[in-house]
Amino acid sequence: MNTLIPDSWLKEYLKTQAKPSQIAKFLSLCGPSVEKVIKENGDFVYNIEVTTNRVDSIGVYGIARELAAILPQFGISAHFVELKINKDAIFSKKVKYLDALVDQDLCPRFAACLIKNVKIKPSSATIQKRIKLVGLRPINNVVDISNYIMHELGQPVHTFDYDKISSHKMILRKSKKGEKITTLDSKMHTLGGGDIVIEDGAGRLIDLAGIMGGQNSAVSDKTKNVLLFVQTYNPVNIRKTFTSLSQTTEAAILFEKGLDPELVRLGTLRGIDLMEELTEGTAEKEVLDLYPEPYKPKTLRITVSFIEKKLGISLKQNQVVKILETLGFGIRVNQDNLYIQVPSFRVRDIEIPEDIVEEVARLYGYHNLPSKLMAGELPDSLSDFTFAFEIKLKRILKELGANEIYTNSLVPKEFVSSNALKLKNPLGSDSEYLRTSLKFSLIQAADDNKGIKIPFHLFEAANVYLPQARQLPKEIMTLSGIFSNHSYREAKGVIEAFLEELNISYKIQVEDAKDFLPNQRVLFNINNTKIGEFGVLEQKKYIYYEFEIEKLKRVYKPYNTFKPMAKVPAQIEDITLILPERTKLESVIQSIKQASKLVSLIELKDIYESSYTFTIHYQHPTKTLTDKEVEEIRRTYVGYLKHKHCASLK
Amino acid sequence: MREEIQNIRNEALAQLIEAKTADEVERLRIIYLGRNGKVNKLTKKLKSLKTQEKKEVGSLLNDTKDTLIFQIGKRKNQLKYGVRQWFDPTIPGKKPVIGHLHLITQAIEEISSIFEKIGFTRVRYPEVEWDYYAFESLNMPKDHPARDVWETFFVDSKKDKKYGQMVLTPHTSSGQIREMERIKNPPIRMINIAKCFRRELDASHTPMFHQFEGLVIDKDISIAHLKGTLDYFAKNYFGPERKTRLRPFHFQFTEPSFEVDISCGICKAKGCKVCKEGWLELGGAGMVYPSVLKNGGIDPQKYTGFAFGWGVERVVMMKPGLNIPDLRLLYSSDLRFLRQF
Repeated sequence: MNTLIPDSWLKEYLKTQAKPSQIAKFLSLCGPSVEKVIKENGDFVYNIEVTTNRVDSIGVYGIARELAAILPQFGISAHFVELKINKDAIFSKKVKYLDALVDQDLCPRFAACLIKNVKIKPSSATIQKRIKLVGLRPINNVVDISNYIMHELGQPVHTFDYDKISSHKMILRKSKKGEKITTLDSKMHTLGGGDIVIEDGAGRLIDLAGIMGGQNSAVSDKTKNVLLFVQTYNPVNIRKTFTSLSQTTEAAILFEKGLDPELVRLGTLRGIDLMEELTEGTAEKEVLDLYPEPYKPKTLRITVSFIEKKLGISLKQNQVVKILETLGFGIRVNQDNLYIQVPSFRVRDIEIPEDIVEEVARLYGYHNLPSKLMAGELPDSLSDFTFAFEIKLKRILKELGANEIYTNSLVPKEFVSSNALKLKNPLGSDSEYLRTSLKFSLIQAADDNKGIKIPFHLFEAANVYLPQARQLPKEIMTLSGIFSNHSYREAKGVIEAFLEELNISYKIQVEDAKDFLPNQRVLFNINNTKIGEFGVLEQKKYIYYEFEIEKLKRVYKPYNTFKPMAKVPAQIEDITLILPERTKLESVIQSIKQASKLVSLIELKDIYESSYTFTIHYQHPTKTLTDKEVEEIRRTYVGYLKHKHCASLK
Repeated sequence: MREEIQNIRNEALAQLIEAKTADEVERLRIIYLGRNGKVNKLTKKLKSLKTQEKKEVGSLLNDTKDTLIFQIGKRKNQLKYGVRQWFDPTIPGKKPVIGHLHLITQAIEEISSIFEKIGFTRVRYPEVEWDYYAFESLNMPKDHPARDVWETFFVDSKKDKKYGQMVLTPHTSSGQIREMERIKNPPIRMINIAKCFRRELDASHTPMFHQFEGLVIDKDISIAHLKGTLDYFAKNYFGPERKTRLRPFHFQFTEPSFEVDISCGICKAKGCKVCKEGWLELGGAGMVYPSVLKNGGIDPQKYTGFAFGWGVERVVMMKPGLNIPDLRLLYSSDLRFLRQF
């Protein structure tokens, strides 16, 4: 959450000569980060990101307190100026002007004070200017005071028109399901139950507490008496309400973080001062304060050596003590032990000794800590992850001219099988499911390049997600690719080369499947187990392939077994066969191979009508084959081919 | 006139053979082919011929002109480039088809190799994960406001009694407890690089993105080691002159927590339009919260650790000179984009 802090306002609580640029720099290094310094209306405004655990520094007052501790670390003198209260009040459990029944679980501290005879009018020029600098619109003195205190102290303040509270009675309770309330902004809300609400003497809901006041009790131009209202609420209820109503306000965001109940007193007194000063009203002497369980200081024990170990440096005890004291911690030293009393405004944030380490470290300055790599034993790095193999696959495909893509794992319904996992809260129907195949993502990717008329080849390696009962889905790392503007032979050649690079020998099996053209799909099998598929898709005749990476990894060989090179050259010849229509070449090649062990290589060289030219190598391991020997082999396979495939030699 | 043409042609060819330098050839070109050259003079004479003859002689003259142009060019090149066998080494080459690895893959490779050099082991954990690993075990119980930062996708499935809802992992930190459970006894030096998902889509966010998470657990691990590791990474990934700095921040699962900045490569940390006062935000880091160690089965009295988790896309986009204006481009399949890298 970000807060805007005008420099002039800050300097009311911080005595320092530091320049705005120094404040921005040093605060960022040791405390909340200053994202921007804006020069506006003759003032500087700091835009500061405050982390959720440091709601105590959301206002001008809190930032001043931080800076008073931080700036001296950089040799710049700075002092925190405590808020001066002009009028004292008596905090009492019972007052005459208000009868309140409060559920303490919902509201740990409840304070209210009646301000009589106010005059509603515009605020002073200074207050208006500051209200504008923090990004709000001045309305009238009473409303502006609420906003002013919230930005100054980080404590939300509400005001009721006292005369609109029936019987001057309040019951603070959980809402019931279906109850309705119209808030200040004229919106009607139907409550889900469990919201914090206030009911008046007539049984009307007059406040959606912590979020926004009710319209029926709002301050107007005619208001005479104001009830100043300062609380802390249970963050869980506040959070529930604003998430279920999807309505949030600055006050709600603060209450949700859990505010310091001790701050209620200061907020109330500040409210009384400003009300009397700006509205000419008179505050009752007694403030109603229901605070049954006051803050009990929490103490942590820590040693300097513990801090030193976490920081990687050595420190002096008095150095540590001084840093913590400037941040508002109480310290008692007992030899090596430091007993640290946590101030009320830090109690939600400081829970364990490591939290104290952080306080010391950030004030000491992270930039002052040394930087070194770990010594010590190395972990056993053998792991069965497939990263090295994956990048090997990707590099082979790259060498073969493919382009890698990354597409969204979240896909529309048309892309997935019927049991695919669905999201409860997708961004849209085009990304509602977890994909069960990469096929349709790749088709889409190819379609995205339809302007390109030359051949291209895209691939992706990504998980597909297969649901399992009562378990996380099986995530299967899949390698898929798509060819566009390629002939079947060109594409298949690429995949053959790919498998050859992996030293995988496989068998091909023709098998039809959904989304592929009939008779135009093959499986790559090893020992009758499928390791991948390849074929022509119905859609635009793209050629698609898919491998399961884990399976490839199991069957690939990182290197081949050495085969001695033949001492003599092979006999090489081209033969042309005339094959009847619808002859599958794979079986023709098998037949030739079967003819003799001396046939060492067969390559399809050319196709013309029904003539198929093959280049055939004949190789004997030790001697040069004679023409006669070659002829014999040729005669054998031609015989086979004639018999089996009705082929003839041209 | 035909004869005249023949004579000029023969004379020119004879002189060309005798020419010894390219300049000489150029002089011959002017004599024969120049505006007032011999060929042009004959062309002017053509007018006086009869139509039929004009056509025939004209064609002969044109042939002669073409022959001379060609022969002059040839002789000139001969004299200029010598008598060696002609070869044009400036001819454009024939390129093989080259594929491309995606920028994200390139970055992941670079990041893992940087960390592997200092003993980190790369791992990967489920992308669809239990709430327990994504949040609960990291100190973020159900309904904790800190969860809001992670715009989490929930899977429409039954809750597990022990592990809660099924979510798409919103960060690689979900791998922290899984790695502790895998290794059991420190030392741990993990680099977890994986897909993550959040309900966000704009110029700097895509619903699917990648993070890399470092986790180091051992005896006596301190902030100094975190700083050392971050500096080592920044110098190796971005360049030797780059520095990192830590600023206080807050995460539920680390204490202390930091935001890590890197010095701006454009202005050399002096401050410019691209950076904040000389620094660019890199991502979050911190010392592992004791209860997180405990949740992972590691004794926080004995061991300490640090962790950091940053966006892969973010560090890619921060590479000086890359200048990709919109992170969503990384997830386009446009070949005109893919082929640039």
